[in-house]
Amino acid sequence: MAEIAPRPYDGLRIVDLSGELSGYVTRLFADLGAEVILVEPPGGRPERQREPLSGSVNYADAAFAFLNAGKKSVVIDWRGGAGAEILADLVSSAQVVVVEADAGALLPQIMRVPGPRVVTVVSHFGLDGPYAGYRSCDLVTQSLGGIAWLSGTPDGPPLRLPGEQTSMVTSLYAAVATALALWDLETHGSGHVIDVSAQECIAHSLQNALQVWDLERHISSRGGEGTRDSTEDIFACRDGYVFLAAPLSLPMSWRALVEWMREEAYPGGERLSHPDWTDRARRATAAARAEFRTIFESFIRERTRAEMRAEALRRKIVLAPVSRISDLADDPQLIFRRFFVDVPHPALGRSLRFPGAPYRLSEPVWHIDRAAPGAGEHDTELSGIRRFAAR
Amino acid sequence: MQLRFLEGIRFVDLTWAGAGPFSTKIFSDFGAEVIKVESASRADPVRLGGPFRDGIAGLNRSGYFASRNTGKKSLALNLKQPDAREVVRALIRHADVVSNNFGPGAMDRLGLGYDEVRAIKPDIIYLGMPMYGENGPLSGLLGVGMTISAVTGLMWLTGHQDGPPIGPGTHFPDHAANPYHAAFAVLAALRHRRRTGRGMKIDLGQVESTVNIVGIPVVRHAATGQEPERIGNRAADCAPHNIFPCLGDDEWCAIAVLDDAQWLSLTGVMGRGDLAADPELARAAGRLARVTEVEEAVASWTAAHSAGEVMRMMQAVGVPAGMVAHSRTLMEDDPQLRHRGYWQRLDHPELGESTFTSPPFRLDGERVPLARPPLIGEHNEDVLSNILGYNSERIAALRASGALEC
Repeated sequence: MAEIAPRPYDGLRIVDLSGELSGYVTRLFADLGAEVILVEPPGGRPERQREPLSGSVNYADAAFAFLNAGKKSVVIDWRGGAGAEILADLVSSAQVVVVEADAGALLPQIMRVPGPRVVTVVSHFGLDGPYAGYRSCDLVTQSLGGIAWLSGTPDGPPLRLPGEQTSMVTSLYAAVATALALWDLETHGSGHVIDVSAQECIAHSLQNALQVWDLERHISSRGGEGTRDSTEDIFACRDGYVFLAAPLSLPMSWRALVEWMREEAYPGGERLSHPDWTDRARRATAAARAEFRTIFESFIRERTRAEMRAEALRRKIVLAPVSRISDLADDPQLIFRRFFVDVPHPALGRSLRFPGAPYRLSEPVWHIDRAAPGAGEHDTELSGIRRFAAR
Repeated sequence: MQLRFLEGIRFVDLTWAGAGPFSTKIFSDFGAEVIKVESASRADPVRLGGPFRDGIAGLNRSGYFASRNTGKKSLALNLKQPDAREVVRALIRHADVVSNNFGPGAMDRLGLGYDEVRAIKPDIIYLGMPMYGENGPLSGLLGVGMTISAVTGLMWLTGHQDGPPIGPGTHFPDHAANPYHAAFAVLAALRHRRRTGRGMKIDLGQVESTVNIVGIPVVRHAATGQEPERIGNRAADCAPHNIFPCLGDDEWCAIAVLDDAQWLSLTGVMGRGDLAADPELARAAGRLARVTEVEEAVASWTAAHSAGEVMRMMQAVGVPAGMVAHSRTLMEDDPQLRHRGYWQRLDHPELGESTFTSPPFRLDGERVPLARPPLIGEHNEDVLSNILGYNSERIAALRASGALEC
């Protein structure tokens, strides 16, 4: 039998009672060798049961496939009797338990199981406090955490970020906290309880907005009117949009952009060489922004995103195409790096293209071992756990 | 008093700006010795960018820098000088992790590429965080957080339904996706080293890391073949689900009706029995078909109440709702964050007493205590004499040659 290369989280068992906020926590561990066991109620998790709105695959199903790849699944009716005992045995055999607050009623049950371990509890607002009983979702937590305020346009409402960012951001913080606590468990033998608040995670990710208020008593706002340079924006080109950043704080980018226009004898090059454009404050005004937009968009009107990217690379301008999700598979860099991986989706009878590793490691330790499991798929395999726990 | 979880772990940390230092901060907060190798003559851009205490610029006065560098030590070196690079190589002999977020090739030019570092310390954990990865046709593309949003689809997807792409208002990938993927990878590498004796190189291409945080739309696209819809504050499968204007100037509250029972609760609070009685609106599909009308009804009601009142009235009947917070309301008004002790006050020689966010979790019921960020070059003598054993003459010579700054 070929020797199997060791992986960072070999030998680690995680009991996963995650929900919509924390699925990605354990996915990260699974990809590096941990045995992650999703514990599902009879009938499977509620997120499996959402009706498809159209077509054969709905949003929830894609999310489930992404967040739960590489995990195992057991179905346990943990509300009492034999099920509660099986859950206790499973917890007893694990070094880490991740539990989401909707299953928070389970927490005392988990804490009663003897032995040091890491218990990571993830909720929208934390386990106590005036909002602890509040109902929430991605939109509400992005609002109460302060990130929605920072996006959008000055003349419109605050705007949430796409792709379930409350869940993704919270999961990342929770995963790091869990790994730190596990390090301590394995170094000093101390178990830990981590109480992760999604609202706090969002509020921890606001760039420098909190410090701007604390030190300068200014409220950073969406669109950055008055602060964002006229060049820092999305601009229309021939086949879509590009994002440009050429403020005076990136002098190389600005000089290269103006030089390019001058090289092509484009009149905007002259205009942007005028001393007006050395005035940082003036560049952030609505008038300057409008003028720059007119100049730049007429310069790039006949150019494609790919042409713009090639020039940006050659001239050292901070500029990139605004890619659609459907463009990612054609990104020459991601192709070169063989970034995407195909993961089987048994229900569809084919593979789905997944994002590859978020970090390229020099040791061959990152891989997705299997597709997201069916509910109870590993009941039989894991039926020996009770004996394992008793040992 | 810093936690001692990571006592004995030492970083030679060459990261600068936003994403890199945010990755290594969690290690210093948990008791690792993170030696920030930086320069006064070519200062960390975040030391030069604001906000500053009282609006007065200064290398030790930036709140942005402070928030990314708690608990670290600062060693100020001019890496253009061979003697300074020799100091870094000497430190690496005593280090567990070497971290940087320069563009591809920069570490090689300093003589600090992975192979050179590994020759000094064979089991080193080496973290690099270039935008697009260390090799490939676009690896030389210059980027900031928003460029990463652009090429990953995140910018395209951020916008209102039926509107143009707007993009996140911040350099969003710098503040969670990339620093915390990096920290997770380093922690995994530490465990791997403890079990196998082997170090590793971590090439965290920030674009690849960020594609994972839009993994749900990416896999959805793979499953359906359809470009995911830009949806803004709305939801694909329920309504009303949006951010509504409230009483006052630029005051907003999010309301999300996730099921049909919540619709009845909402209309009850609004006193709109007519809407509750409309059979077409009883189901999500019907409300989605008339979403503009439904949202206008909600907005006309919210406009008469403060955002806080709207939130409390909705939550009282079990409807998810939250006022749209900003920096001032978070820091001064939010009762939840205050109750949980989220804010820490730390004194600092130049910033004075200022406010820091705790790591966003409680550990065994307590907050992770933070230590203030370093002044530039504050730990020059500490590091050179205590770790490297240099005597005062040698340190003076390094200072005289300009290799050691401050």
